[in-house]
Amino acid sequence: MLLQAAGHEVVAVAAGGDELRELLATTPADVAVLDIRMPPEPDGGLTTAERLREVNPDMGLLFLSHYAESHYLMRILRIGTESIGYRLKEKVGSVEALSDTLARIEAGEIVIEPVLAKRLVDRPGAQRKDAVATLSERELDVLRLMAEGRSNGGIAAQLFVSAKAVEKHIASIFTKLDLHPDASVNHRRVLAVLRYLRSQRDED
Amino acid sequence: MRLEPAGASLTSDSANGAGDAEAWRRGELAEWHRRRLLERKLHDGAAMRASALVLRLGVLRELVPEGNAPLIEGIDDVQDELHAMLDELREVAAHIYPPLLEEAGLVPALRELVAQLDAPVRIVAGPHAETRFGAAEPAVYFGLVDGLAAAARSGKPIEIVLTPGVSAGRPELLVSLTGVGPEVGEALSDRVRALGGTVKISTVECGETTEVRVPCE
Repeated sequence: MLLQAAGHEVVAVAAGGDELRELLATTPADVAVLDIRMPPEPDGGLTTAERLREVNPDMGLLFLSHYAESHYLMRILRIGTESIGYRLKEKVGSVEALSDTLARIEAGEIVIEPVLAKRLVDRPGAQRKDAVATLSERELDVLRLMAEGRSNGGIAAQLFVSAKAVEKHIASIFTKLDLHPDASVNHRRVLAVLRYLRSQRDED
Repeated sequence: MRLEPAGASLTSDSANGAGDAEAWRRGELAEWHRRRLLERKLHDGAAMRASALVLRLGVLRELVPEGNAPLIEGIDDVQDELHAMLDELREVAAHIYPPLLEEAGLVPALRELVAQLDAPVRIVAGPHAETRFGAAEPAVYFGLVDGLAAAARSGKPIEIVLTPGVSAGRPELLVSLTGVGPEVGEALSDRVRALGGTVKISTVECGETTEVRVPCE
């Protein structure tokens, strides 16, 4: 209903992953909206998405879930790093939020639940804490938006500053965190930032 | 002849002992099962309903005639309240049975727990980060929740190593803890022993180590 209110067309609705794949085999769609915990259990949304991406790599994938966990975020980004999103169900409860999320996915971006991005920036892996603590307030704002998957233009619009200013902040963040600057490719930058923030837990 | 009754009573004693242990184990397993069902019920029921309400309010918001700012504001407020309610439901669910423990297993759930503790705790699982440990998972997770939070407050580095093992042909989980005091092992002890496992606390040069073995069945 909200999708229709936002001016999107719902081409198919399915109760489970297997049914959805069957429907999408004959009905073209721009974006598939999935729940991580959909049938087949226990995390049918992820296995369904993997198969959808194999068959139709251009179709966007949006995961809506009751939980925002970095564990699932990493699994989702293993499925793909372009035109993919992970958001809390209740946070896309307005036409603006839903349309913004879908538009970004269509544009090829990664869309990450801001609550989760904030948690990762505010509580980075133990080894990264000291480096993250050297960032200024403004740089932390920019880092949070980067972790949400936003592009330079998107970050500039959110913070009401120029794209030039954003570029400067990003360069400074990358220097302080000792990350390889590759600002030209957005999804690679998002991955670098997320891996960095989670590092300690994934190194084992 | 007189020995017979004594022998018989001995057998029945140990049979009772084994029966008690089995009852204890079954009770523990039933408890986890109940908790999983409750969490699932919360997710599929109240939480699902509340997030559906957020979306329905989003639809209603679009139907509000232009210029009716108070109504729009009212809808936004109700949506915010529902967001807070959903956060609280998630918190309750995590106490009942963390969904990540159910769906992804012990290692991811412990990593998430440790990330929230804001302390230098290292979880080492090698190639077993996605291995499932059956009944040992909730026993170790819930056994560690409180003890670990207390131990982490000291700020000393803690290491938790998880490895699968086999004992008498049955799979078990080995947990080795360093950098924690005996209270963590003690907190684990009841849950681990309920499943027929053992907790061994020993003092070594660099402090104490706690070795835990828990059957996975």
